[in-house]
Amino acid sequence: MTIPNGLVPHGDDLNLDELKRAAESILLVSGGPVTVDQLVEALGVAPQTVHALLWELQQDYAGRGIQIQVVAGGFHLCTRPELASYVQRFLRLDHREPLSQAALETLAIVAYRQPITRAEIEAVRGVRSDHIIERLLERHLIRDVGRKQALGRPILYATTEGFLRYFGLKDLADLPVLEGTDPRGALGGMTPTPHASPAEGSEAV
Amino acid sequence: MPYIVKIPQFEGPLDELLTLAQQGSVDLREIPLARIAEAYLAGTEHHVDLEEATEVLWMLAAMIEMKSRLLVPKPDIPAEPLPLEEPSDLEARLEEKLQEYRAFKEVASALRALEDYQHRIFARPPGDDPNAVFLEGVTLDDLFRAFQQVLERAREEVGEITAEEVKVAERMEAILTQLAQHPQGVVFADLFAAAATKLQVIVTFLALLELIKNRRVRAQQPQTFAPIRVALAAP
Repeated sequence: MTIPNGLVPHGDDLNLDELKRAAESILLVSGGPVTVDQLVEALGVAPQTVHALLWELQQDYAGRGIQIQVVAGGFHLCTRPELASYVQRFLRLDHREPLSQAALETLAIVAYRQPITRAEIEAVRGVRSDHIIERLLERHLIRDVGRKQALGRPILYATTEGFLRYFGLKDLADLPVLEGTDPRGALGGMTPTPHASPAEGSEAV
Repeated sequence: MPYIVKIPQFEGPLDELLTLAQQGSVDLREIPLARIAEAYLAGTEHHVDLEEATEVLWMLAAMIEMKSRLLVPKPDIPAEPLPLEEPSDLEARLEEKLQEYRAFKEVASALRALEDYQHRIFARPPGDDPNAVFLEGVTLDDLFRAFQQVLERAREEVGEITAEEVKVAERMEAILTQLAQHPQGVVFADLFAAAATKLQVIVTFLALLELIKNRRVRAQQPQTFAPIRVALAAP
């Protein structure tokens, strides 16, 4: 998150401090991530101003119990990881169940090679993966995005917005770099997913 | 722990047999691989070590492939370097696959770290707030007026509570009497034979539940969808 404060347009002759606090209150009342567009509409300012306000807000949160996460193309007000034990105790939550290693690997293959068929996933993993794919579909981490124009017209799978949220990713370009191959090459055949677009603006933050 | 082969032709670790076969020191045509596989399978009936099983399976498969190459008659024409290339070609492809898989394993561990981080942060649950008040467009005055109306209506209609025709306690007694006459118990549906009205069925069922809860009656079902038998509990 690096943006020079000078990016705030001069046209917005408004009380920036109040707008910052307004943005904060919107993040608080919203359950999920709030997009730049939503903030532009609610605050009545330009997208650059929204970015600048949120950047400042994020600075204000240094040393506090909450933070702003840029996830799935939106801004999300959430707690800090080091305070997890307190929050868990308050919410009476058990430790969240992590994905199995096999599920995680399968998910990684889908994420980098999407859209991908089951057979293509299995070719990489070397084992049958229908059960794991079923589980990932149930958890809404991947979804069915159509059929491949090939023999048998197999179903193509891609990751969901829930996937981005689950891993705290801004968009698919935010994925860790895949060693050995050109990471962008791995994503090459991909069609841009609709949820990836609103994140473009947040790149600047 | 490598698997130890014990056949008349060879005794020792399986991986050593594979190495010797690859070096050409052992003639696989003399080695009954099926016997080794059978012996190993017999051993797995009591205990399977998955790691070992994977290794054994892989090594046996490799040897079966080598043996099949030895058994297939070679063409008379001296073979060109083709047969030499084939395995290396296969190896290259395998190596490529492995590398690809390793790359995914690596990003999987990076994703694991992200997952761990996300699991330790919390946000407000999206959507439904359990404490949300659903009173849109309703003022306190509206509420007050509505309450007054209810009070007035209550004053107008002094209701009459009809006497309870069927009592749970009575039905409990009736069930106990009925069951006392049938020490072997009765089929669930028989308890309702006398119950004509809906109310009677409901009350009888409540009475039965109460008796089961109090452990005075037990219900048994030998299998799913089989008729349930109800009998007096052993004192």
